[in-house]
Amino acid sequence: MTKLNRRTLLKSTAGMGGLAAVGSVLGTPLIAQSRSLKVGSYGGYFENSFKEFVYPAFTEATGITIESVTQPNSADWLVTMQQASAAGSVPTDLSLYARDALIKSSRIGELVSPLDMTNIPAASNMEEDFLYEDSTGVIGVGAMAWFTSMVVNPDEVDTPASWVDFWDSSRFESSLGLSKLISGNLLDIIAATYFEGAGTFDTNEGILAMVEKAGELKPNVALWWTAESQMEQSMKNGDVVGGMYFHDVAQLMAADGFPIRSTFPKEGNPIGYGSWCLSALSEKADEAAEFINFSSDPATQALMSRKIGTAPLVAQSKTDLTDEEFSFVSGTPAIQPAYEAYLDNETFIKEAWDKMLASA
Amino acid sequence: MSAVDPPTLASSETSGRSRRSIMRPDLFQAVLWALILTLCVVPFVLVIVISFGQKIEGAAWAFGFTGANYQRFFVGASWPESTTFLYLNRLWYSVYYAVIAAVLAVLTAFPFTWFMTRMSRAAQSRWLVFLLATLSLSEVFIVMGWDILLSNRSGLPMVLRETGVTDWLKVTGWFDVLREWGMANPRNVKFKTSEFATILTMSYLVWPYAVILLYPALSRLDPSMTEAARTMGAGPWTVMRTVVLPSVRLPLIGTLFLLFVFLLGVYVSVTVFAEPAKQTLAVSVYEAVRGSTLNAPFGAAQAVILLITGGICLWLGQILVNRKGVTA
Repeated sequence: MTKLNRRTLLKSTAGMGGLAAVGSVLGTPLIAQSRSLKVGSYGGYFENSFKEFVYPAFTEATGITIESVTQPNSADWLVTMQQASAAGSVPTDLSLYARDALIKSSRIGELVSPLDMTNIPAASNMEEDFLYEDSTGVIGVGAMAWFTSMVVNPDEVDTPASWVDFWDSSRFESSLGLSKLISGNLLDIIAATYFEGAGTFDTNEGILAMVEKAGELKPNVALWWTAESQMEQSMKNGDVVGGMYFHDVAQLMAADGFPIRSTFPKEGNPIGYGSWCLSALSEKADEAAEFINFSSDPATQALMSRKIGTAPLVAQSKTDLTDEEFSFVSGTPAIQPAYEAYLDNETFIKEAWDKMLASA
Repeated sequence: MSAVDPPTLASSETSGRSRRSIMRPDLFQAVLWALILTLCVVPFVLVIVISFGQKIEGAAWAFGFTGANYQRFFVGASWPESTTFLYLNRLWYSVYYAVIAAVLAVLTAFPFTWFMTRMSRAAQSRWLVFLLATLSLSEVFIVMGWDILLSNRSGLPMVLRETGVTDWLKVTGWFDVLREWGMANPRNVKFKTSEFATILTMSYLVWPYAVILLYPALSRLDPSMTEAARTMGAGPWTVMRTVVLPSVRLPLIGTLFLLFVFLLGVYVSVTVFAEPAKQTLAVSVYEAVRGSTLNAPFGAAQAVILLITGGICLWLGQILVNRKGVTA
């Protein structure tokens, strides 16, 4: 439901052209009549765009057919895969995991296999940050990125230059929509705005200080959202005049004429990204490597930016994205979430956060 | 069912009598128990077993035998360094919303049903069909509807602004009072998030059930009893108080209990309309099990406690009813 809303919206205006670039980049198709691969992605417009634009280009380039599998999101999918692995049969060869789910799957163990990076030369186009390595080897290669951005209603308020402005009750009393989920990155924004960045998560005192800072926002929050459709509706309805929301959808809403402006304040916006991970029970390691290699290619990254609205994981200069196209999906600076700390100390952080929300 | 061989099947199709004689009572009993076991007891036991499981920090959880989840419920995860009553607070709101919404629904549904049973048969059937039809609306759909009705640009706040009520509130100073209550932002009144919206939606959600549950009792009520009371000089209120209410006391209380139990587990209304400080245990259970922490044991422990609380509430209610029954 949520994804549908978001992605339907994306569909209405998403990118123009770009498919042509891909065909020329990849090498000669391999002779492989019956080769296939099951790939998971988040359902709705997101998955549909993959089916419509990305998978056919891949099949054309390699001869490998893709069977698309719907994932609800990363966290739920991890539960599904955990149960499926225990039962001995998994629904996908490749799954799409956000960074936290990826680390979690590594820690749970025996859910994902290390990838043979010699078969994925195109991954060198990416920054090292987007390759996740644990004791078994590289288990996740970045697929695409997205930003959680500062948004405001330009008809009602001036665009703030800093996240600090959101604490100003004279401007934002009962007016903001912020993510209620601890994984929504508000603490990372606070770490970058008021503290020493991700390092603040290393101690319990640091975490409590950030949570307390978040608590000071409460008089200004009209909506603590859990599903992105809630925030979308509230921005459209004027129930809130600002807050945090996905950069890509906000851009498309603005293009559709809704009063919303997505902006990068001076501290930046948190970046999130999805990774391709190979199921431990999959026997399609070679096909999976080919797909990941294809996905890592700058041309494919540009294709996804145009068609799905995600940010590329390779430098803009390596793609043929124009400045306008690039700023539609990305921006600077990017706040790197403290992924590991969230997991190492998850019960403490979650409860501190919930206590703040409940004033208990 | 696959065990039933074709001749048996054929005979059961031709005659219900012969089928009864073929299906031995002890076999029937065994099937029934197997069903109850797999559909009720096993999931139940699983939840209880999981509630003693162990959370593995940074990963998922494992089966175990620890009381830590129950301890966390009452004093928090960081006890004894710090204590929090966060989850008791959630439990309180579960009970609070369920009681108020159930009482409100019954209070409003009772007079409606009363007048409905006084209508013609045809009118009664029309109402009943309509109410049964509204039961097909899911909670998500109802919440969506109220969400729109209470929205700033499309709902009640818009009506208040356009009719000048908002300006009037600002002039008279009531607007500032509403802002203090969290029912307004600097631009207009707002109903989301609020206890008002939460309870309203929850009552609305169970209202048709209340009518349908009260209808049989009220429609069976012998009109000659009320007529007799009237001819003996009792006013309509006295008749309601001394004749109607006592005779439908049990269905009335039964309805209240049923709605209460139903409302204990409501999820969508609370997530959408209640501010995080006033959310319920049902939300907390979901966040623990399906949220990013993957802490099913703690979710299960909370669910078990919610279940026990619901049981205790019903038991207390029962005692109260019985005592009243004795004194009456």
